[in-house]
Parts: sequence; structure tokens; C-alpha cells
Amino acid sequence: MNEEQQRKIYHYLKSKNIENFVGVPDSTLKHFIDECLQNDNILITTREEEAIGIAAGMSLSKSNSLVFMQNAGFANSISTITSLIQLYEIPLIFLIGWRGYLPDDAPEHLKIGKIQPELLKIIGLKSQILTEENWKVKCNWALKQLKQKKPCALVIRRMFHD
Amino acid sequence: MIRKEAVKIIAESVGNNPIISANGFMSRDLFETYDKESNFYMIGSMGLASSIGLGIALKNPKKQVFVFDGDGNILMNFGSLVTIGSLKPKNLVHIVFDNSSHESTGGQPTHSSEINLAKIAKNVNYKIFVVQTKTKLMSVLKNIKKFKGPIFILIKISTSKERSKRVSWKPKTIRDRVIKAL
Repeated sequence: MNEEQQRKIYHYLKSKNIENFVGVPDSTLKHFIDECLQNDNILITTREEEAIGIAAGMSLSKSNSLVFMQNAGFANSISTITSLIQLYEIPLIFLIGWRGYLPDDAPEHLKIGKIQPELLKIIGLKSQILTEENWKVKCNWALKQLKQKKPCALVIRRMFHD
Repeated sequence: MIRKEAVKIIAESVGNNPIISANGFMSRDLFETYDKESNFYMIGSMGLASSIGLGIALKNPKKQVFVFDGDGNILMNFGSLVTIGSLKPKNLVHIVFDNSSHESTGGQPTHSSEINLAKIAKNVNYKIFVVQTKTKLMSVLKNIKKFKGPIFILIKISTSKERSKRVSWKPKTIRDRVIKAL
């Protein structure tokens, strides 16, 4: 997804009462993350599970949070998502950069990248893929999930090589 | 001192302030000795009590927030010490009940006896206290109000065969009670 749209997503979610942006950096999401940094509204953690824990504490304090991460970190976090976020039904939006979407991405991403949609399905975390055209509609979907006290995930595909 | 005795002393001293208690016997001891609405009992996601506590502390600056952690728990989320030490929440009191073992899974050893947890916490900007006895624990609890956090209290406890009952609240109920109390 291009730089302009990623930066817009930050401001859109912020305007819709998402107050906290917590997570571990990912190159697919770098413009979104940079916009959080520019606006001095970001908490970068050591691991993805830590970010989920902090965001959960903020949500329990009635302050809405988004947790950003690469899908490698999502794979790390599955037990935390099932035994904390889903078990207690803590509303959170996950923003996940999807490495290994392209079949010729770097080799370390291919295995998890290939099963990424199945991983989300298996644990029952509802998700939508964001594109440059549909992001506002999909963000509104995520905000609606949050209002119903449900966690959900938005996924941005890695469509480039570097 | 066993964990349950220390938990009871602290929980009574903490009063209505929120406590985030680690999974396993820690939450069971707290539930049995001092159940209240602002207790967040973890029943899974080992290691994350201090992270949940940090999130709550950052959003509730007027409340002193207590984390009841174990040595096995903090060793599993060691980066949390760095994040907390960098953000320096004044209202966070991070208590580690250290028995150098994974008591909830059968008493297998942790490596906490080989390292100095308090020294590590000090190096990442915590104000530290090390406690071995009930008398010292009570005097530290009286004094912590004078200090700015993050505060780290390392309590050396002995292992015990005593078992508290499981937390009977459903996870969603625990959530709703905490949201209401904060």
C-alpha cells in the first residue's frame, strides 16, 4: 500500500477514537508507523505479545488501541491472542503486515506467509485485507467490531521487494 | 514467608487500587485472600502481567497500579522491564514474588537464583526494594507512597504445599469488573 494511503489510515483511525498505537515495527507498514511517530503517538515494544498486553491494559481502561505487527509476530502471538484477548473478549484492532504474500518473498517468510489466512481463520480472529481502494470501508468494519467489543485484524499485503 | 502470606499482606495494604496478578497460583492466592472488583486475575498468557499493568498505569495516572508477578513470569517477558523502565510510569508498583521455581507446574527450577533480578531492575530505572521478612514487607509498603515509580519490590518467598482454590469468576466477568472499577 502506498505512502499516502498508509498515512491517511493513521489519521482516520485517530479521528475515530483509536487513541493508542502499540506494536513492533514492520517494513510493509512503515509509512503508517512513521505517521504514528511524526504525531508522537506510538509505543514500540520489545515483542508483539508485550504490545498486546499493554494494549489490553489500555482497553480495560476504556481507551481504544491498535496493535501493529508483522505476520511473523502474529504467529508468535497466537497463544496470547487466544488466552488473553479472545478469552476475556478484550476489543482490539490488530494491523498486520503480510510478509510471504508474494511467493518469491524472502525465504524466512514463505511458510508463515502461505498459511497466514488459515492461521487467522483457525483461531477465529475475524480479518479483512486493506487495499488502497477499500481501506476506509475496511477500517469502518474494524471500528464496528470494536464497538461490539470484538477483537479483529486488518491485513496489509507486502506487494514489493527491497 | 510463603506467597499466600505475602499476597495477603500486600493486598490488604493496597486497598482499592488495581492489582494485575499473574496466571497460576498467584491469581488463586489473591482471589482467595482478597477478592475485589479491580483485581485482574490472569488465567493464561503467562508473562504479561507487567505489560497489562503498564497499559493500565499509563491510562490511570492518578491510581497506583500493582502488578503481582512471579520469577518465572518476569523471566518470560524480560523486555517488559526495559519498556517500563524507559516510560517510567510513576504510579506502577511491580512486585515479583520469587521462589526460584515454576511452582504452578510442579516446582521446576527457574534461573532467578543465579542472577540478581533487583540489580537488573535498578539498571533499567526502577526504584528497588528487596524483602525477605514480613516485618520488612510491611515497612516497605508503608514507605512506597513516598517514592516515585516505577517501583520494583522483590520478595523472596519459600515454596509451599498449600493450594488456593481456582478463580471462580468467568474471564468476561473479570473483565467487566475491572472496566467498571477503573
